[in-house]
Amino acid sequence: MVCGLLEPDCGVVTIAGRRAEQELAVRNLVGYVPQDVALYPDLTARENLSFLGSLYQLRSKELAARVAEVLELTDLTERANDRVDSFSGGMKRCLNIGAGLLHHPKLLVLDEPTVGVDPQSRHAILERVQAFGREGMAVLYTTHYMEEAERVCDRVGIVDHGRLIAESTRKELVERLEERDRIELGASGDLERLARACREIPGVENAATTDTSVQVVASDSRRMLPLLLEAAENAGVTVNTVDVVEPDLEAVFLHLTGTALRD
Amino acid sequence: MRSVFVIARKDLRQRLRDCSAIVLGLVAPLTIAALMSFAFKGTESFHFTLGVVDSDHGPVASALIHALESPASRQIVTVKMYLSESAARAAVRNSKASSALVIPAGFSTSVTTNRPESLTTVTNVNNLIATNVTQSIATSYIAQLNADRLSVFTALGPSPTQGEINRLAADAATLRIPIQAVEKPVGAHQLTAISYFAPAMAIFFLLFIINFTARSFFVDRAEGMIERMRAAPVRPLEILAGKALSVFVYGLFSLATVAVITSAVFGAHWGNSLAVSLLLLAMVISVVCMTALVIGVSRTQRQAEGFVSILTFGLALLGGNFIFISSAPPLMRHLALFTPNGWALRGITSLATIGGGPGSVVTPILAMLAFSVVIGGVAASLANRAVSS
Repeated sequence: MVCGLLEPDCGVVTIAGRRAEQELAVRNLVGYVPQDVALYPDLTARENLSFLGSLYQLRSKELAARVAEVLELTDLTERANDRVDSFSGGMKRCLNIGAGLLHHPKLLVLDEPTVGVDPQSRHAILERVQAFGREGMAVLYTTHYMEEAERVCDRVGIVDHGRLIAESTRKELVERLEERDRIELGASGDLERLARACREIPGVENAATTDTSVQVVASDSRRMLPLLLEAAENAGVTVNTVDVVEPDLEAVFLHLTGTALRD
Repeated sequence: MRSVFVIARKDLRQRLRDCSAIVLGLVAPLTIAALMSFAFKGTESFHFTLGVVDSDHGPVASALIHALESPASRQIVTVKMYLSESAARAAVRNSKASSALVIPAGFSTSVTTNRPESLTTVTNVNNLIATNVTQSIATSYIAQLNADRLSVFTALGPSPTQGEINRLAADAATLRIPIQAVEKPVGAHQLTAISYFAPAMAIFFLLFIINFTARSFFVDRAEGMIERMRAAPVRPLEILAGKALSVFVYGLFSLATVAVITSAVFGAHWGNSLAVSLLLLAMVISVVCMTALVIGVSRTQRQAEGFVSILTFGLALLGGNFIFISSAPPLMRHLALFTPNGWALRGITSLATIGGGPGSVVTPILAMLAFSVVIGGVAASLANRAVSS
């Protein structure tokens, strides 16, 4: 909706005081980086950037300067004239992000930019996003990785089934958990059965499964641990690890949605 | 508006980088036109060698041979005399003669008696036109003789003297073969195979651009490029217009190049340059609109490819890109008028044979533009859905 790709069901999107759906030119203020790499594989890095920059009304010298700037920023200057299909996944990711920066947007929308990225590239991307923020650019960063949101976001919005159910600073969101902790039971067996059993224990607020664990939000975790282990035994589930995690965004998400985030 | 040119330039760059575009736009139409021209060479004019065996040596046989050797017949037939039927058969078998006509002994005498003799034709199954023409000559000559005989007996009564019969028979012998094949072009120029198949193949392969562009659109969409363009200050219609402009430029370049090369190298006669240019322009506009329509109505790449296959071969078959439409049955000729390529070929054929300038192709151009307005209007109304979905 912010990028003009979806019509809002209700409400309005305002960017720098201008209504996004009413003015096409507002899109010049927004840089969009899609989740999947969206570049022409049969064009070179320079050709891709020149094409996308031209769509944002950049011309001749200014366009060439911005393209050079982005190639520099993404460490791709030496590969500028190589076709994108010859790039590694990390290089494509970097160029994909760089393409969203060509026109110096006021707002950068990053849609899960680290999905499928190796740890080194992921670290580089997060560093860069933090740098954008320090330079004064607003960054709207969507992710399923709570540790990324904790690291790069000043404010966090939690969206569940297409609805924004909470939006605040990390500190304020975590404070909503009050004295609750997140207990992660690394287990094998019928995890859904264990999650159901956990929900029936008084004091357990929510329990949800991931592929390898059951995440429980509960108050007074010290008192709760023996009860959870007993429930696991009764459910025929083998618990391999137990982690009691200080309140974090993942616990907030579980608390608010009743759903654990999966890797 | 600038975005339209930016998108078109990018598409053209990709197309030129892709060898298949060059193959489809230039190599294929030139090759197929040359091959079809070679295959159909000779069908636009006809001449054959007729072996004749005169075992009669009478006045009627001489009159027949004289008629076959007359200047009017010489345009289509060269007479070669053989001494015997077996020699004529051998000549036909060895392709030294296309077919043969055997005039039996007593043929002239039989005209004045009640013992009619038959002309024998020797034909070759591999040369059907010569076979048909030879049989027509024999049949029509016999029919003429029978008419003459009837006239003789009607004129002279039931008991004519031999002298009267001979005199009338001699008069009858001077009669000509009543039906003659005369080679004559429809207009000022003969329509050669290359002059028909060069534009026919150029237009046929032009239709493949629809598939090319529709596929590129859906690949762009699948790879997120359309979404990326939409996130920029670009209207959905501009994205589609950019794609359409690249089709227009590529199509025009392809047609113009094929026209120039077939004219210069293969001797194709396209007619008045300005009129041909206008016709090709209208044809390319039609292709642009059809491309936009396919993109507009299709939801997936596979669906688009299905539509394009039906459209391309349907139009090519109906429009006459594979056959001389002027020799097709009336229904086919009428159906061709529902296709832009049918109108384009009609216009180009008219220019190549009858001649004329831009004024002579106003009707085909208007027909193609009307087709484009309807198709383009529907496509424009679907543009937003196509780009946004």
